Amino acid sequence: MIRWPRDWGLQVRMIGTLFLLVLVYFIFIAVLVYIGINTLLLVVIVMVFLLLQYFFSDRMVLFSMGARVVSEQEEPRLYETLTRLCAIAGITRPRIAIVDKDIPNAFATGRNAKNSVIAVTTGLLSMLNQEELEAVLAHELSHVKNRDVMVLTLASLISTAAFFIFRSSLMAPQSGGRNGKQNLWFIIPVFAAVVWIISFLLIKALSRYREFSADRGSAIITGRPSQLVSALMKISGMMASVPTRDLREVEGMNAFFIIPAISGSSILTLFATHPSVEQRIAALERIGREMVEHGV
Amino acid sequence: MGFKEALNSLLGTTTLPGASLEKLFSISAASITMQAELDLKPSSSAGVCFKPIESQQYEAARKDIEELLTYSNKETGSTFRLETDEFRFIWVILKDPDFDDLVAGVHLVSQTFIEKGFGAYLLCAIFRFGNGQPVYWVYNFKQGLYYPFIPAPGKTRDSATEFRIRSLLERELPIEKDVGLWYPLWGIPL
Repeated sequence: MIRWPRDWGLQVRMIGTLFLLVLVYFIFIAVLVYIGINTLLLVVIVMVFLLLQYFFSDRMVLFSMGARVVSEQEEPRLYETLTRLCAIAGITRPRIAIVDKDIPNAFATGRNAKNSVIAVTTGLLSMLNQEELEAVLAHELSHVKNRDVMVLTLASLISTAAFFIFRSSLMAPQSGGRNGKQNLWFIIPVFAAVVWIISFLLIKALSRYREFSADRGSAIITGRPSQLVSALMKISGMMASVPTRDLREVEGMNAFFIIPAISGSSILTLFATHPSVEQRIAALERIGREMVEHGV
Repeated sequence: MGFKEALNSLLGTTTLPGASLEKLFSISAASITMQAELDLKPSSSAGVCFKPIESQQYEAARKDIEELLTYSNKETGSTFRLETDEFRFIWVILKDPDFDDLVAGVHLVSQTFIEKGFGAYLLCAIFRFGNGQPVYWVYNFKQGLYYPFIPAPGKTRDSATEFRIRSLLERELPIEKDVGLWYPLWGIPL
């Protein structure tokens, strides 16, 4: 078997972030229980919200982005490119959707491989060559394989809950407190806001690490990190020089992120989740060097 | 989903499944049944498709395979050629009138690839049957199973015949049960 060296630094940062998120989660719940907030109601609300997001986010995202799921007969070549990558990676093939926009971009959505959709814009299709397109599809396929929608949906659970509590605590009269700790109620908005900010930052970090992982996955599946480098450079070059009409379209896409922590989890665009292109290219080039040095 | 798989997903680690050659040879016996029951003769050509990767070791492995094939072909009398398809995958296409030699050749190529450490990048092996309308048996290295593929005009496939062949060969050939994994390959260069 070919051995790809692991990126231990990335793994450690990923584990650290996940650990901190779980920690914040526990502290949050513990404090709420201590103060005497009706946590049951909160859990029910958050669960309903989460389930809705989990089961319908794919359709919501596709609809809001104007993505149309295409059949194998319509796009045989695109499907075969994806099929071959899936065969090599041993993943069930997701469906493909096309967004009729000049902006080159791609995203993956859906809770598991069977329900997943990988969407690409027409701008992306006309700009990239076969190898670059393959690399971008492999990147999105890695998001599907890593279950990033599920991981980030779960991760944003606390953030969402904290946000709800923050809002309702500002509005609700300061009554209740079953355990007679009414004197602690004034800290709730502050506490919820702090939890919200911390978890928001952790989620941002987590999604950056998931991007790096997906880049790495693309390099491993295609066996050619330089293909993704080339695609990223083409797309980012294009992004910098898009005409105004298209820039407004990009802003329109961003407007979809109403509550960033929530929307960010159900849509994994190629560029929205923030490590800089330079950082990503540097990481990919490192993988390329490792391949040559360590080889098999 | 197994524990290891779940952990890999959580940590975002990508590992590729390896290739299995165990059941490759079962096509030999199946070819006799196909000939007897369906009058489908093997067409004396077969191919191994793999993804070329960015590594010096890979270039070395490819040279080794070419040398090995040149050497072994002197004994068996088969021929081979390399071809790059529109998806930039490489095909080793073998030709030999003797079907058993052909299967042995496919095994040799795949085995060498696996030994050199590139088994994960083997896509499939394909055996062609019939002289007019081709009937392909595709061997998926990752699952270690076969499936039929009969292309029809206009990038459609003759599913009815595929199912008929499956029911006929079910007993002697390990066939992929999940029809969703019977992926088509258009423009097979053999």
